[in-house]
Amino acid sequence: MRKVFSVIVICVALIVPFAMFEVMPQIGDPNSAPNSHVSVHYIENTQSIANSPNMVTSVIVDFRAFDTLLETTVMFLAGVCVMIILAGVYKTKKRVIDPGESKMLRVRSGEKVFRSINKDVIITLLQPMILVYAVYVLFHGEVSLGGGFQAGALIGTVLLLDAMAVPDKRNFPNITKGTSAMIAGIGTFIYATAGILTLIGGGLFLEYEKFPWNVPLLEQHSIGILMVEIGVTLGVAGTIVTIMNVLLEKVKFDK
Amino acid sequence: MQILSLEAILLISLIVIALVIIFVDDLMTAVVVYCAFSFITMFLYIVMGAPDVAFTEAVIGVLSTIFFIMILRSIKRKTK
Repeated sequence: MRKVFSVIVICVALIVPFAMFEVMPQIGDPNSAPNSHVSVHYIENTQSIANSPNMVTSVIVDFRAFDTLLETTVMFLAGVCVMIILAGVYKTKKRVIDPGESKMLRVRSGEKVFRSINKDVIITLLQPMILVYAVYVLFHGEVSLGGGFQAGALIGTVLLLDAMAVPDKRNFPNITKGTSAMIAGIGTFIYATAGILTLIGGGLFLEYEKFPWNVPLLEQHSIGILMVEIGVTLGVAGTIVTIMNVLLEKVKFDK
Repeated sequence: MQILSLEAILLISLIVIALVIIFVDDLMTAVVVYCAFSFITMFLYIVMGAPDVAFTEAVIGVLSTIFFIMILRSIKRKTK
């Protein structure tokens, strides 16, 4: 019954979009509604107003920065909600296997084998590369692909790999769930601070040209975008680490 | 609306993968196939000209797969 129902749902969900394809404008059609009003304004004015070669980033964190502020808040709230629902006073088993036992376990292809030489070495090699890439994505996101969300997710991936694959010798300091939720909150706070600073400078909320410090007008847009992206990065990374910590507490490993 | 042949291939493989996710009994297989689902979605975004979204999809797809696997360790792997 459940399978039949899900197949019916998939069929309906497929038929409706394919029927809508007839009505929708073609991709890249210059006369369609989305391409003739707002896109033109963005394409013509991104370089001169927002001083950002990457149009996607400038639309997300400059023209529509208020949307992204609320998105980051939703992200933070999601992490807090997961923590409220799942966290409790569970007794967590230590995920430590002594060398002799692990050598014994590695032979069996049962459930307990989660640690091997390959994983230790490769994860340790991969982590700095992913971190460098995350920092590159964060600071270069204004120019090329990427931005705050991607950089935060990459940093979260590094910490997640650290906790999952090499449980007994961690390469990074252990972040508890309280600390990680606090980091996510700090990220959201940095974002809101950018808006409040522009208010202090006499502009509208998140109007980057009105930052109180004295730098050229176009530079202020870059500073605003970077500040917002750092906030988003901290928010996303903190949320991911929070969810990971809560799950690690809840999940029973090594029974 | 015109659909490119590459897009059509990707969309049809999405349908097949979604059906596999529903009907497979082993939950671990379902999770791994779900990872493939997000991978093909990523290709679809690239074909449609949204590399930023594709980048996000790639990272988030891997992350959600790891979360699912973490949960799977504490429950039974088979359905029914």
